Amino acid sequence: MSFLRLRDVSIEFPIYQGSSRSLKKVLLASSTRGNLGRDARDRINVRALSHLSFEVRDGERFALIGLNGAGKTTLLKVLAGVYEPTSGRFTSSGRVSSLLDTNVGFNFDATGRENIILRGMYMGIHPREMRERAAEVAEFTELGDYLDMPVRTYSAGMMIRLAFAASTCTPPDVLIMDEWLTAGDAQFLEKAQRRVESFVRTSSILVLASHSLELVQQWCNRGILLHQGRTLMIGPVEEVVAAYRRLIEFGAPAGLATEAAGG
Amino acid sequence: MTSSASVVNFEADESTALSARSDRILSAAADLLDGLSRSWLWTTLAHQDLKLRYRGSILGPFWQTITTIVMISSIGVIYAELFHTRLENYLPGLTVGLVFWQFISGMIIEGCGTFSSVQGIIQQVKLPFSLHAYRLVYRNLLVLLHNIVIVPIVLVIFPQPIAWPRVLELGPGLALILLNGVWVAILLGMISARFRDIPPIVASIVQVAFFATPIFWSADGLGPNRWLADFNPLSAVIDVIRAPLLGQPTSPYSWSLFLIVTALGCAGTLVFFARFRARVAFWV
Repeated sequence: MSFLRLRDVSIEFPIYQGSSRSLKKVLLASSTRGNLGRDARDRINVRALSHLSFEVRDGERFALIGLNGAGKTTLLKVLAGVYEPTSGRFTSSGRVSSLLDTNVGFNFDATGRENIILRGMYMGIHPREMRERAAEVAEFTELGDYLDMPVRTYSAGMMIRLAFAASTCTPPDVLIMDEWLTAGDAQFLEKAQRRVESFVRTSSILVLASHSLELVQQWCNRGILLHQGRTLMIGPVEEVVAAYRRLIEFGAPAGLATEAAGG
Repeated sequence: MTSSASVVNFEADESTALSARSDRILSAAADLLDGLSRSWLWTTLAHQDLKLRYRGSILGPFWQTITTIVMISSIGVIYAELFHTRLENYLPGLTVGLVFWQFISGMIIEGCGTFSSVQGIIQQVKLPFSLHAYRLVYRNLLVLLHNIVIVPIVLVIFPQPIAWPRVLELGPGLALILLNGVWVAILLGMISARFRDIPPIVASIVQVAFFATPIFWSADGLGPNRWLADFNPLSAVIDVIRAPLLGQPTSPYSWSLFLIVTALGCAGTLVFFARFRARVAFWV
C-alpha cells in the first residue's frame, strides 16, 4: 500500500540573493538597528505552495499541471521528500524514486555504468544487487559503448535515457517525474511509457509534472491544476486539462487572482 | 502568459512552541542515526570520491603522500637549521604534526562544501543530511591512511623513546578527531550553504592556524608566552596525537581542552542542526 498525503501543506522560502547572502550585512543588521537592519530583514519570502491538501493512492497516475512558476517543481520536491513543508503535514508510504532534474545527482566524471550503480545506491539499493541489474539497465538505455564514457560527454537525451533506466530498474512504489523527461525522443518516450504502465499495473503511483497536455492525457488519469501555489482544481485528468486550457485563454478566476496579488 | 508565485514579506518565522522544538531535536537525532546506519553507502561513496579524484594518475592517493614527504623534507631541513635543532629531534615531531594537520585541515576546508558540493543529490533524493558529513569525514580518513605510512618510516629512521602501551592513546585520540570532524562538517557545511562568504574566510583562518599551531615549531619555544599555543584547541589535538608517538608526556590540559571543545561543538551543532536542518534543501 503506497500513498502520498498532504494536509494543508505550505512552502515558504526566503530568496537569498545579494545582501542577505553576505555574512557582513546580516551581522551588521543584527547589531545595528538602522537602515541596514531593514535591508537584511527585507529578505523576500516566496510562498511557493499555499495550503495544499490532497491524497494520491495506489495505482493512480497523477499529473501536476500549471503555468511556469505555479509551483509544480516545488510540489514534486515535497512529494519526493526533498523539501519539508514549512507548515502543514506530508506523509507518504512506499519507496520513492524521483527524476527531478536532468543531471539527477550524476557524477559527471564517472562513466555511465558507474553512474547506474551510483544512482541505485542513492535509492538505497546495495551496489552488489545493483551490479546484477546493471546489464538490464544498460540494455534499456541503448547507449552501447557510450556507457563506458564519462557522463559529461553525454547529450541531454542520453542523460535522460540513463537517468530513467537507472531510476526505474526496480519498480518503485512511487515514481516522481518532472517535465524534462519529455525531452527524450519519441521512440524512447514510448519505451518509457510502457515501463511506467507496467509499474502502475502492479499498483504503484506515478506523479508527473508537464506542460505537454498530450503527454499528460496519455500517461495520467488524475491531476491537479496549480496556480500561484494554490489548488485551482483536482480531478480526472480531462477536466483538469480543460480547466488549464481555460486558464490560458481567460486567465485565472477573478477572486483567486486578486487574492494572490494581495499576498 | 507568465506569472510568478505570490511574494510575501514577513517579519519572523519563529515558531517557539515547545513541542515543535523537541520535535526538531528528535528529527535531527533521527537524521544523525539514520545517516550512520547507512554506512555501506557513505563508505562506498567516499571510496568512489577518491577513485574519481585520482582517475588517470598512476600513484592515485599516494600523490598526497608524496606531497607530504616533500613538505616534511623541505620544512625539516630548513627549520631544523633555523631552530638550531638536530634533524633527528626535529623531524619526527614535524612528521606526526604535519600528517595529522593535513587530516584536520582537510576536513575543515572540505567541510565548507559538505552540502553545497552535493547539491544535485540533496535536490533530488531524500537522504539523511548527516550522511554527507560522514562521507566527508570517512573520505579524509582514507586519505590519512595513505599519508600515515610516512610516520612509521620516519620513526624507524629516527627512533623515539616510545612507551608502547601509550600508543593505545591514539585510538581515543583519533576517535575524538573523527567525532569533531562530523560536527565541523555539519556546522560549516550549513553555514557555508547559507552564507557564501564563509568558505574563503575559513580557508584563510586555516592557513593562519597552520602557522599559529605548534606543528613545525615547539610550544616550549614560546617561553613565558606559552599561552599563545595553549589557548589554541588545535595544538591540544596535535599534542594528544603526537606526544605518545614521541614518547613525551601528554599534558592533561590538552586532553581537557580537546574534550571540552568536542562537547561544546557537538552540543552547539546539534542545536543548530535541529533548528535549521529542514532549511538546508532551500539553501544549497
